[in-house]
Amino acid sequence: MIREATGIVSSEGGGAKTLVVIFLRGGADGLTMVPPIGDRDYYAARPTLAVKEPDILALGDTHYGLHPSMVGMQRLFHEGDLSIYPAVGSDDQTRSHFYAQDLMEHGGSEAGGWLGRFMRFREGESPGALSAIALGKVMPEVLRGAPAAAVIDSINRFSLSQRGESTSKIETELAELYGRDRTLMGEVAKDTLQAIKRIQELSKNDNQPNHGAQYGADSFSQSLRQTAQLIRAQVGLEAVSLDLNGWDSHFAQDTLITPLMVRLSEGLSNFRRDLGHLMEKVTVVVMTEFGRRVAENSSFGTDHGRGGVMFALSEGGGGRVIGDRPELESGILVGPGDVPVQMDYRAALKPILSHHGAGESFAKIFPSWSLKHSSQES
Amino acid sequence: MEVGRLGDYSRRFFLRGTTAASLLSATSCRKIQNLLGLKEEHGLCLPPPNEEIDLISHAISRLSFGPTPSDYHHVKKLGVTHREAVNAYIEEQLNPQGIDDHHAQRAMRRFESLHAPLGEMYEYKEKHLLEQLTSATLMGAVQSKRQLYELMVHFWSDHFNIDVSKKDCKWLKAADDREVIRKHTFGNFLDLVSASALSPAMLWYLDGRQNRKRQPADYPNENYARELLELHTLGLNGGYTQKDVMEVARCLSGWTVRSKKRFFKGRVEFDPASHDDGAKVVLGHQISAGGGQKDLKDVLKILCEHPSTAQHLAEKLCVRFIADQPSAQSIKDVAETFLATSGDFTKVLRRVFSTEEFLTGPRGGKLKKPFELIVSSLRATRAEISSTANLIDYLVSLGHAPFQYPSPDGYPDVGAPWVGGLFWRWHFAIGLARNQIHPKIRIREAKLFQEAGGIAGFSAVLFGRKPTQEELMSFHRSGEPLAMAIASPAFQWR
Repeated sequence: MIREATGIVSSEGGGAKTLVVIFLRGGADGLTMVPPIGDRDYYAARPTLAVKEPDILALGDTHYGLHPSMVGMQRLFHEGDLSIYPAVGSDDQTRSHFYAQDLMEHGGSEAGGWLGRFMRFREGESPGALSAIALGKVMPEVLRGAPAAAVIDSINRFSLSQRGESTSKIETELAELYGRDRTLMGEVAKDTLQAIKRIQELSKNDNQPNHGAQYGADSFSQSLRQTAQLIRAQVGLEAVSLDLNGWDSHFAQDTLITPLMVRLSEGLSNFRRDLGHLMEKVTVVVMTEFGRRVAENSSFGTDHGRGGVMFALSEGGGGRVIGDRPELESGILVGPGDVPVQMDYRAALKPILSHHGAGESFAKIFPSWSLKHSSQES
Repeated sequence: MEVGRLGDYSRRFFLRGTTAASLLSATSCRKIQNLLGLKEEHGLCLPPPNEEIDLISHAISRLSFGPTPSDYHHVKKLGVTHREAVNAYIEEQLNPQGIDDHHAQRAMRRFESLHAPLGEMYEYKEKHLLEQLTSATLMGAVQSKRQLYELMVHFWSDHFNIDVSKKDCKWLKAADDREVIRKHTFGNFLDLVSASALSPAMLWYLDGRQNRKRQPADYPNENYARELLELHTLGLNGGYTQKDVMEVARCLSGWTVRSKKRFFKGRVEFDPASHDDGAKVVLGHQISAGGGQKDLKDVLKILCEHPSTAQHLAEKLCVRFIADQPSAQSIKDVAETFLATSGDFTKVLRRVFSTEEFLTGPRGGKLKKPFELIVSSLRATRAEISSTANLIDYLVSLGHAPFQYPSPDGYPDVGAPWVGGLFWRWHFAIGLARNQIHPKIRIREAKLFQEAGGIAGFSAVLFGRKPTQEELMSFHRSGEPLAMAIASPAFQWR
């Protein structure tokens, strides 16, 4: 079967669209990142933590804004690249980090992660060795089950040797022996060797970011920088998972999450600038397991809630607020006083995954949810 | 052959090319070993002597996770002709209890938590059991002499796939492996399906535990019933209808698993009040009302005896052991034996190995799945393994970690989905040959080459045939012949 198959792998890896999934672990506070404008109940519930109205960065004529630390993301919004989903979440009722993260990464009570299933079942060419990566130390649940996925700290690990010694003679001979292979395997070998070469050149050259992008030195910003490098190197990268941790702000929320918001905003903004026109094949999704309680607690923090925010960054695909978050009157709050989930994260992801080639396989990526919701769709 | 020349052996061998390979016979190999005072701790090394994969090499590569350096000799001496030897090998492998395997069994007993009673499994940390189970599976595949048995354990683990990341499966899969898969691997198919149907892990994985009918308005949960028909028994085009799925679900309603918050956690129970006790019709067979828990037995019997089940299982076995696209004749032959023996797997497998296509059809045309590639490399190099962590990392990178397939159909058994992982296959080959995978994973290249007669003999062990002139030249030019041979195209196939 393999022996007859043709054209499954693109020769350059250049045609690939890349989906970058950033997970804000710990439950990021949507009401601080995307505060409402002119909502008196917000200020009543958050006497110390609410973002002061004059400080809020406006988002056009919408009644939402951004935290003052997120200047970069405000610009991305006004340039038409950033979409904001103000009240997204899952059907999680436990408000437990682990349960809620699992639920959102698995895509329900399924086993394995939705990004992994996307890689396995999406339409088109078979994924290659460099198609799906997690930048970090462990395989995130969201990517589990992908046909081939790499967990790497740094793109320098994309060498055929464990300790970075040269493998150039072996590469030459691999090209020689696999070059005789007229099956699909020969094609894959050629692509793989080219990808290795491109990455070697990346790590050899100084490889400054383009268009004046200046990434921070923290690991999240560096992961974005390396993701941009891999996209530029056209190695066939389709799915990237990376985390920005530390959002669990029960205590002294402001000092805890302000630096994270800066990191996120600056990171995305540099990433966008760095990629330039290459951004047309890239989507970045930013999600978190849940939002936080509307009312602040007695230690200047907030507790676990329900609806949170999601962001999506893609060239020309943004500049709008998608979905709605009702005003925070007590009647609309759920459970112990939480923002209701107005949009399921899978509904938010659906058009994005379709754009990335999920095609008919959406039902396999989110099987139980798709089953439940197929009747409501036209 | 003199000892003093041994250092030159591989180079000389290389220069003289293929003619030199014919010098390698059992005698010369034994002489070398005796002269060197090498202990025959693993049995004699005899590299396959032919330019094409012969029947012995073919049988070893299909009935095992890949040859060790001594396997060819072991099989050859079982009979006068190749055919006789292979028949004897098949019989040996079909009777695992007759194979002295104390070494591997002792290694596998080290994973103590896997032997804990069901309820105690919940006491382990979530990831612990998966690590233990994966390690034990890997070590069994590498070290056990009951290779066909281990291979079939692998086959059934995919056929009755359970992804441990789903809820309580992380604790219960280890019991499923022990009580369902391993217990019935060479047994009767109905027994195996019955054990799987009442396996707590399966009841969790496919939601059978939630299949209940307490009020007239309750709909049964069809998830397990559908996969039972589509994947475990009749197969997708096996001739059942949506109505049959619902009727099977009704038969199976009421079976559930005690939660981990209660005494006897994980125990499977039948709750008559949740069972739909009306009359059912499954695939044209009547099941009368009031059957209670007996419905399960009745319905599984109907499914297992259905001709589509024989056809479906025969096809999967032929894909596993013969070719990605086996001939209709082979499938028909195997399906007939399945029906005639009511799914006696020892007999069904014997039939697979006696098909014309297995014996005389194309050889070396199945792409190794990543698990097979890694295990076959470790077997061929006689790797000494006292840590499996990094091996499991490779399996994760290659998308083939055991018990982690994300949908109920199990890892695909054909080549096309696996061809993308060459980068990690090469990475592994180079790491293994350089002894860089982990300090606790060691191979002894010099010894392997001495035994086999240099890289030429050793690559014959790997490929089941003598290497070609081009291959040998390439191995030598690379400067790292062992790494190159393991990374080469020929070793990716079985």
